[in-house]
Amino acid sequence: MTTLPAAAPARKATSGAQQKLLAFASLIVLLIFFSVASPNFLQTSNILAILQATSVNGVLAIAATLVIITGGIDLSVGTLMTFCAVMAGVILTNAGMPLPLGVIGAIAIGVICGTISGVLIAKMKIPPFIATLGMMLILKGLSLVISGTKPIYFNDTPGFSEISTGSLIGQVFPSVPVPNGVLILFVLALVIGYVLNRTVLGRYCFALGSNEEAVRLSGVNTDAWKIAIYALAGGICGIAGLIIASRLNSAQPALGLGYELDAIAAVVIGGTSLAGGRGSILGTMIGALIMAVLLNGLRIMSVAQEWQTVVTGGIIIAAVYADMLRRRRAAS
Amino acid sequence: MTDLVRLTGIEKRFPGVHALRQAQFDLRAGEVHALMGENGAGKSTLMKVLSGIYQPDGGRIEVSGQTVTVPGPRAAQTLGIGIIHQELALMNDLTVAQNIFIGREPRRSFGRLDEARLNADAAAIFAQMKVTIDPRAEVHSLSVAKQQMVEIAKALSFNSRILIMDEPTAALNEAETNELFAIIRRLKSEGVGVVYISHKMDEIRRISDRVTVMRDGAYVGTVQAADTPIETIISMMVGRDLETLPVEIPDLGAAPVALEVRGLRRGRAIRDVSFAVKRGEILGFAGLMGAGRTEVARAIFGADPREGGDIIVHGRPVMVRSPRDAVAAGIGYLSEDRKHFGLALGLDVRANVAMTSLARFRNAIGVLNEAALEATARRYIAQLAIRTPSDRQEVRLLSGGNQQKIVIAKWLLRDCDILIFDEPTRGIDVGAKAEIYRLMQGLAAEGKAIIVISSELPEVLRLSHRIAVMCEGRLTGILPGGPGTSQEEIMRLATVRQGAVEEAIA
Amino acid sequence: MFTRRSLLAAASATALLLSASLASAQDKIYIPLVSKGFQHQFWQAVKAGADQAAAEFGVEVTFEGPDTEAQVDKQMDMLAAALAKKPAALGFAALDSQAATPLLRQAQEAGIPVIAFDSGVDSDIPATTVTTNNIAAAGMAADKMAELIGGAGKVALVVHDQTSRTGIDRRDGFVNRVKEAYPNIEIVDIQYGAGDQLQSTEITKAILTAHPDIKGIFGANEGSALGVINAIRETNTQGVTVIGYDSGAAQKQAIRDGLMAGAITQSPVGMGYETVKAAIAATKGEALPKTIDSGFAWYDASNMDAPEIAAVLYD
Repeated sequence: MTTLPAAAPARKATSGAQQKLLAFASLIVLLIFFSVASPNFLQTSNILAILQATSVNGVLAIAATLVIITGGIDLSVGTLMTFCAVMAGVILTNAGMPLPLGVIGAIAIGVICGTISGVLIAKMKIPPFIATLGMMLILKGLSLVISGTKPIYFNDTPGFSEISTGSLIGQVFPSVPVPNGVLILFVLALVIGYVLNRTVLGRYCFALGSNEEAVRLSGVNTDAWKIAIYALAGGICGIAGLIIASRLNSAQPALGLGYELDAIAAVVIGGTSLAGGRGSILGTMIGALIMAVLLNGLRIMSVAQEWQTVVTGGIIIAAVYADMLRRRRAAS
Repeated sequence: MTDLVRLTGIEKRFPGVHALRQAQFDLRAGEVHALMGENGAGKSTLMKVLSGIYQPDGGRIEVSGQTVTVPGPRAAQTLGIGIIHQELALMNDLTVAQNIFIGREPRRSFGRLDEARLNADAAAIFAQMKVTIDPRAEVHSLSVAKQQMVEIAKALSFNSRILIMDEPTAALNEAETNELFAIIRRLKSEGVGVVYISHKMDEIRRISDRVTVMRDGAYVGTVQAADTPIETIISMMVGRDLETLPVEIPDLGAAPVALEVRGLRRGRAIRDVSFAVKRGEILGFAGLMGAGRTEVARAIFGADPREGGDIIVHGRPVMVRSPRDAVAAGIGYLSEDRKHFGLALGLDVRANVAMTSLARFRNAIGVLNEAALEATARRYIAQLAIRTPSDRQEVRLLSGGNQQKIVIAKWLLRDCDILIFDEPTRGIDVGAKAEIYRLMQGLAAEGKAIIVISSELPEVLRLSHRIAVMCEGRLTGILPGGPGTSQEEIMRLATVRQGAVEEAIA
Repeated sequence: MFTRRSLLAAASATALLLSASLASAQDKIYIPLVSKGFQHQFWQAVKAGADQAAAEFGVEVTFEGPDTEAQVDKQMDMLAAALAKKPAALGFAALDSQAATPLLRQAQEAGIPVIAFDSGVDSDIPATTVTTNNIAAAGMAADKMAELIGGAGKVALVVHDQTSRTGIDRRDGFVNRVKEAYPNIEIVDIQYGAGDQLQSTEITKAILTAHPDIKGIFGANEGSALGVINAIRETNTQGVTVIGYDSGAAQKQAIRDGLMAGAITQSPVGMGYETVKAAIAATKGEALPKTIDSGFAWYDASNMDAPEIAAVLYD
């Protein structure tokens, strides 16, 4: 007869849900605050503007979430988006191909570039930060080279601007003309959320971020899965490229740098751990919305631009600190 | 009867190292076969060859009489070979069931997962093992012992007939070890062959049928566990006979008290702990895992905050609010996890020895005096008999025993005369252990006050002049050292629980 | 809990900061200016001019712009937020005219007059455009360069951007003027440094190394010009004529120190002022000319303290 020592108390598996709830509550508080502060805030047109402002960053943040959960990082999401947009311009405007080919082409280019990043990281063992930093610069340069440093316009492809600015929902419910770009974001979030939680690919995202060596020793082809995850993230960047090009009715080759940091910020506010192994698409979506609501609200309140930046930075730190506090409390 | 596994003439070379030289091993169904040897003897390497993690450069692998190749972990699983690694290979953020079936998730169409079946399958394995673990619990929320069970369940889920366990009890306490042994015996009775790698002699005697010893990558011999004296096995391992000296307790009647701790408290981890250590004394700390010994050490050292209690060094109360204060007062702490807290593994011996004393080796503008650093490092290499090619050798390339000596050198250089050793010989092989013991006894003889925390009772008994026993944060008694004190007495004190319900285990 | 509290704290702090201006803003005419940039001294000078007009005419003005001139979509978000505030009129300097068209049409439908400024908006929606004639201004820089180097020799350009209107206009204005009027001047290199001082410094050093006999360098905006000066100073190069663009404390000092021969100044203060003034006129339904020139001038050590020049220079 022996005794068991006091084992660590079994923790409830709700820590992730708690963080999401917290982030969601913050979002609601922000919405209420700005609604009270300015009568112009809570109008259909402004809410739609906020959602539209979220669409590109939201999609990029979804791509970044996948990679960050594996314990990696993707700095190339912004310029890959631009590169895909430019390639859509080349296919549609320069080569005059039909619209569906442009859409498929842009996403395919994203998948190819993501695969290249994945191979650099998984096979050539270049640390993700460096590999994607290199890709970020390569893609920025290529965008400028291919476009001849000039924006490519989509004036000859009439349906193109519909991808982002048209409204399928508005055709059914004329009072809420939610732009298609926003619709794409939400559908994508649902799909990737499902993939992450209910499919093998998603399972390996978490597993790789949690303990890559253990996954490898379990007989899983970790390299192949890692490449697949970066490829998926690349494809999502291709979708982002289509949304932004459609919204601007042009592929802007100089744009994209700095967007990766906004995406990472949204991911982190949403409670995904940069150390890998933990995170959710719902959290990321809330994070992206918090950023967009905050900026829009501060603008509506005519807060000076300098202070908008200060507040955004403070929110990022506060969100991550809150997560740390919660985790420390859970651990004690 | 055909052997489950027969390895013959296995060769493996790594750059600069001949890791396996004509190594051999065999395993029968329904036996526990211990594989022993000093660190670096090639035990883990051999088992990694068997489980497909390393590819051999030569030799033959037979499983159930068939010659096979094991190109990867997946192939090993197919052959019914399961391995539980020394450092637990679990994904902490996933649930228990997700861990067990990683790579073999029950799927539906389009790569969708069947989570319900996953959990049910995991529950079935635990039922078979007769342990209660929630398949949905996230692994990081489990105790180390439970995590070990998850590893075993994972290995069993392949229907493994061959189960390799690499130091499975390294992080387990007595009770948990017993639980593990019960499971091993059950598996054995079902015909599973178990390869058991361990340094702990008493465990080998308790659980294994045969013992194979390896040395320097080569096979030494195989003996029956039951009728072979431990001394024989040890001499097979080290290639020489080791003296076993009983502890000599010096007369410390006149020695002044070096460190006194009064009423140390912190939450439930440390409850009113008071004791004193004299100069020249070795005070052992025994207790089960989670008894609060490390917590006490860390609180004294200022690494964790404390809620109350006085620390008196050489008769003077000192304020210890951070490790910096403790070091200033002459207290050194040698963490149980050398690799994480004790050493900068990527740096050389010279840099590690001087790590906490760099201020002494710099001039006015902060440039380091390399000549003095070298002289100091060489002095300690000689004094502590650290086996290293030079003082420029990276610490990570040294053996555990030599790493430990470097940590000791570091604190000696810092003029610490109160040294707290937390599990000083964890992961250190038998030969080096004796050397570390001699070193500690020598330090005590020089007048240092030494506290030793150890989970291995033989170690506590061999070293301690007095033995403090803890249970659940309380100091439950201090016993005299020497042959007068038995392991049973210590265990009795280590399980004196206060107002707690005794949880019986199967 | 922590996030919620901190958000509230941060938000209420900003609310406090602004409650005064908000309260008074409700009944004033409100004119937001959405610019191409914000942090650069040039845009701060435009903002100063706009603020000056706002004080003078008793209207409420806000001024915003994206962090870099590449962020076309961020500018769209700013424009959308500005329109949500239901302004009386709108000042706008488009990074990409086409991309802005849907939002500008929205403004038009809501009856909000749009005043384009700086590089303007490529559309018929704006009531007028307040701008510097960049081509003419860069042509004047070429004339001055020719005069200072004696009408012959090698020159190079350090330009901020190869895609923006001002980058293209200033480059082409300079290059075309040289081609048509000064056959003995050879343009040996045109490089782009994103208007980043450090990047422009490195570019200039490379040009100086590649062409040791270079006679003159034109920096096409403030950041580019400062980069050129930096490189001249660091390499201790003598005898290269530097012509800059815009002003700012550092560039003014370089001219005083003789490192820079002189520079073209636009009138950013005037641009901001004229934009707000035109916007107010538009709200009253007054007729406006197609373009309003905000002006440019050559300045060097000899005339920079003259009142009419000093007034348009900014620090």
